[in-house]
Amino acid sequence: MSEPIVIENLTKYYNKFLALDELNLRVPAGEDIGLLGPNGAGKSTTLKILCGLIRPSSGKAYIDGIDITVDPEEALTRIGAIIETPEFYSYLTPEDTLNYFGKLRGMKSENLRKRIKEVIGLVKLDKWARVKIEKFSRGMKQRLGLAQALLHDPPILILDEPSLGLDPRGVVEFREIIKDAGKEKTVFFASHQLVEVTQICNQVAIINDGKLLTYDSIKELKKKYKSLEQAYLKLTGGSIE
Amino acid sequence: MSELDKLGIVIRYEFLKHIRRKRLYVILGIALVVEAAVLILIPALRDGYPGSVMVMAAMLTAGPSLAAIGAVFFAGDAIAGEFEGKTGFLLFTNPIKKMTLWSGKYIASLAAVGLMIIFSYIIIAISLGAIYGEVPLEIFESFGVCMLFAAAVLSVTFLFSAISKGAMGATVMTLVFVWVISGIVQSVLGFTGNPYWFLISAGGDSIAMVYGGMEMFMEGFGGMTGGMGAMLEGYKVPTVGETCWGMVIYLVGGLALSMLISRRRQLS
Repeated sequence: MSEPIVIENLTKYYNKFLALDELNLRVPAGEDIGLLGPNGAGKSTTLKILCGLIRPSSGKAYIDGIDITVDPEEALTRIGAIIETPEFYSYLTPEDTLNYFGKLRGMKSENLRKRIKEVIGLVKLDKWARVKIEKFSRGMKQRLGLAQALLHDPPILILDEPSLGLDPRGVVEFREIIKDAGKEKTVFFASHQLVEVTQICNQVAIINDGKLLTYDSIKELKKKYKSLEQAYLKLTGGSIE
Repeated sequence: MSELDKLGIVIRYEFLKHIRRKRLYVILGIALVVEAAVLILIPALRDGYPGSVMVMAAMLTAGPSLAAIGAVFFAGDAIAGEFEGKTGFLLFTNPIKKMTLWSGKYIASLAAVGLMIIFSYIIIAISLGAIYGEVPLEIFESFGVCMLFAAAVLSVTFLFSAISKGAMGATVMTLVFVWVISGIVQSVLGFTGNPYWFLISAGGDSIAMVYGGMEMFMEGFGGMTGGMGAMLEGYKVPTVGETCWGMVIYLVGGLALSMLISRRRQLS
């Protein structure tokens, strides 16, 4: 699929509040796209619609050509996602949790066991694999969130502030994991951290008040506005000059 | 992978949740304490156990009835908890139909409550065997009615869980509905000589009523005289069959409505 994520005239109202206003966006295969915008811009709403967590008021969202509102189960097989700070069942261990989600995704026991070991190692939770999640810090839950997103090796990663709550070392490790995953996968990634976005993504979409302000390569934006920070501030209504 | 396979997985992990939570053991403990209290207090406060095994069997249904009410604590957070605790942000991004998910949760909750009910009936059977040297066959009917009552309470709880923002709200609303509102309406309808088979609290009463009617129960304790006895004269006590139909309405209606509502619910 040349454009695994396609958003067409996506509009979302929360009662009378307009969160998304006819948003259009196409994410090409294998690209790492950052979704930027101030608080309340509509980033999380966009990602939640793509993950089938909420329904749009109008417009369409496609994952690998599948309309997420028509066949969410099929569309979700292609996605690995972290939305907001992940919360897990506190009575389960990371191993139990990944087993549960892996089985729901139809992974076979032997392959699943092997994969669980791999992703737990990747997010450095080896020592905590059999400890109940009720004892986990926010950062540890975030790590486990990334492990579950990568578990089934999906072609598309949808990440909403994935490094929130991580310590500086964790942020660096996360960035490396996502960058590495991004070599083979399409990554659609919402963040407030411009530095992080610059280091992971090739292109960014900046939105505000539910509208797309720009969708361009970071290189081009730097040419036009000197820096990504300047581009962000000018486009979203402020300047540091 | 079929939805049936996924249903099996959800049941397995939801059941694991109930087994690992303290509330199962707390409710079971309370049910056993109630049965122990009945076994100790009746001979202590009167001259021995009632002459009829049926009366004593009816008295001991207090334990499993409480266990059935425990369904509320298992299911209160089944739907609301996924939204309130935000665990839904992970669970709902898995390729599974909501209907399969809620069905799995319902079956797992019923299995956990069923486990407690079976355990409390085993205690009843052992106690009756030890005291009277016999166990009435009606115990199986009582068990069946108790399971149906638990299933109905579970459905009502699912319905409140589907419409509530929080798990606590769903739990409290169900308890108020089943124990307070339904109980009061039953009393009013009963005293005024009207039928009340359709109330869920009447279903709860039937767990003991399978052993005999109100008269048998009162006779076992020396009969009822005075104002209370006169009041009960006008009661149109429903048959167990009638109350079972009432419970089926709550079971089917509550579950269907909870599924419809929760399918439409969004995690924003």
